[in-house]
Amino acid sequence: MDKVKVTGLKKSYGSNEVLKGIDMEVREGEVVCVIGPSGSGKSTFLRCLNLLEEITAGKVIVDDHDLNDKNSDINKIRENIGMVFQHFNLFPHKTVLQNITFAPVELKKQTKAEAEKTALGLLERVGLADKANAFPASLSGGQKQRVAIARALAMNPDVMLFDEPTSALDPEMVGEVLGVMQDLAREGMTMIIVTHEMGFAREVGNRVIFMDGGYIVEEGTPEEVFGNPKHERTISFLEKVL
Amino acid sequence: MHIQKKITGFLVLLIFFFSFAGSLVPSAQAAEAKKTYTIATDTTFPPFEYQDASGNYVGIDLDLLKAIAEDQGFEYRLQPLGFNAAVQALQSGNVDGVIAGMSITDERKQVFDFSEEYFQSGPIMGVDANNSAILSYEDLRGQRVAVKTGTEGATFAESIKDQYGFTIVTFDDSPQLIEEVKAGGSVAYFEDYPVVAYGIAQGNGMKMPLPKEPGGAYGFAVKKGQNAELLKMFNQGLANIKANGKYDEAVAKYLGESSVSEGGEIEIAATPQMSGFELIWASMPAFLKGLGYTVYYTLISLFFAFILGLIFGSMKVSHNKALRGIATAFVDIFRGIPLLILAFFIYFAIPQALNFTMPIWTAAILALSLNAGAYVTEIIRGGIQSIDKGQMEAARSLGVPYQTAMRKIILPQAIKVMVPSFINQMVITLKDTSIMSIIGLVELTQSGKLVVARTFQSFEVWLTIGIMYLIVITILTKIADRLERRVSRG
Repeated sequence: MDKVKVTGLKKSYGSNEVLKGIDMEVREGEVVCVIGPSGSGKSTFLRCLNLLEEITAGKVIVDDHDLNDKNSDINKIRENIGMVFQHFNLFPHKTVLQNITFAPVELKKQTKAEAEKTALGLLERVGLADKANAFPASLSGGQKQRVAIARALAMNPDVMLFDEPTSALDPEMVGEVLGVMQDLAREGMTMIIVTHEMGFAREVGNRVIFMDGGYIVEEGTPEEVFGNPKHERTISFLEKVL
Repeated sequence: MHIQKKITGFLVLLIFFFSFAGSLVPSAQAAEAKKTYTIATDTTFPPFEYQDASGNYVGIDLDLLKAIAEDQGFEYRLQPLGFNAAVQALQSGNVDGVIAGMSITDERKQVFDFSEEYFQSGPIMGVDANNSAILSYEDLRGQRVAVKTGTEGATFAESIKDQYGFTIVTFDDSPQLIEEVKAGGSVAYFEDYPVVAYGIAQGNGMKMPLPKEPGGAYGFAVKKGQNAELLKMFNQGLANIKANGKYDEAVAKYLGESSVSEGGEIEIAATPQMSGFELIWASMPAFLKGLGYTVYYTLISLFFAFILGLIFGSMKVSHNKALRGIATAFVDIFRGIPLLILAFFIYFAIPQALNFTMPIWTAAILALSLNAGAYVTEIIRGGIQSIDKGQMEAARSLGVPYQTAMRKIILPQAIKVMVPSFINQMVITLKDTSIMSIIGLVELTQSGKLVVARTFQSFEVWLTIGIMYLIVITILTKIADRLERRVSRG
């Protein structure tokens, strides 16, 4: 069953067309890695999947909900789509625990006590149980991103979107974040990951999508895309980054 | 959907805001039903009206009014507004009548109905007692001369200025004329002669080198075509008190016996002068009361300004073009109009155009709130926009609605950024309340004006008032600083 189905997706800023017609789908439990040069539109594409960017044309269906349908409640749909940002975007005025419990309590998914219990469990999972009462400012980049992942998971989403989750990290912290993501993939989470970590994409991804110039240029299993790229733009990109 | 909610919320608050302001109007109307007339007067026109040392308004006009009201059995509420404000308040229907040493002129008869003449006046020239160079109008050539707006003195000076070749500077208050001449800005001033004579008797350091000019008479005024029964009672009462001697009694109390019969030169017993320190000490209760009002109006105005700022500030950061446009128009209008003009417009122009009455303090709070609201809008917009947009995106990506995200995530962070600007605005608004003394609002500056009008000791009074503002602002700023530190600590 398709968790995410995108048809003819276009996105323009004024006269500048960033996405020029994207078609793809993601099955339940699949881990899709999106790679490509900067400016290729991969982050914009990801942000269209939870409507952080308005869609200019085309259709995005997540969990059978048409995002652009006037009748769908985008807030309800977003509850089911977790997102992790390049710059973490933790709430600096809230503790780690409050960051995680904020949405479930605010949206009445859980009582405060339930949410805190869930949050502590999630912190355990990302290895930060001892940081529950710390403020984000006192955490390292890697710790912040793990809290951000826990925050997204607290809503118990069906799909997780990762927008270059390790790009803003010091190299020695990349591993701890990728480790958490790998565990998540193993547990069967449907994930779409925009990343520059080719090793991770090859190892964890079920499928790799190469984007350039607002199009999906090539897609396939990691073996196909990394081992035997067909398109010359894919070849030249991989030559530069590998 | 959230935009709709926002508009609804905005309307609710707006209605709340104006119903608060509006709720004060019925009380004035209710008072009218009991035949209590609101009568405006000047604040600083001794010996016709001025505040005595214990803070009561006294003077010839007020004694006459009281005697007439007793004679005719009507109730009135006195509103000391200042001359210009009183005249405009009568025009706009905010008050029923004006008794303020107002000369009866043809121009004024166009808009007001006057009572019988109750006092014969006439303009006279005053100069500094040490100035021996000005002995005739001829000596004024090439010099500056001070007058008070709307007085006979102003009309007379205007009529001879071309003949004698002097220029005129205009002031709103009688004491300002004395200060102008004392400071050397003008060499002479023209004022109604009882006022000049009274001031000299109080030791204001002026003298009258020439006799008074023949002049018009003072009358009690109502708006043209209105309050005919009040005018009738005034005339009837005036005739009665002239007959029973109460009129002479009132005039003699301020101008001495000699003036009553012949209306000639006035001899007034000088009241003993207080030293500067004694004066300030004696005036302190009045000043402190004024200060209390200043702080009170500041806080109320800031409260409404904050609500307005919150509404228009969030409209300014909205994605909806129409809402942004409305908010921008609000800011442009109320930041672009000088506060003084805004106060005049709200207090005089709007009631006149829409035919209702508005208490001074409502008008003052409206003007201050709208003015400060425009600035607070910009402070809030700036604060919100200073927060990384990733914060909003993170909250929205979790399914949190825009309003909730704004309230729980963005605003708590933005407020820390805004606090220093809020403190700044608080200081500005507190100082701006002094502007409202022009429409007669009783606050610190007004209480200073009243004491200067009676005593002519402007140096001591304005020094004290200035220090009082300084102390209060320093205290409030220190409190706010402490609050700011607590906020930024989290």
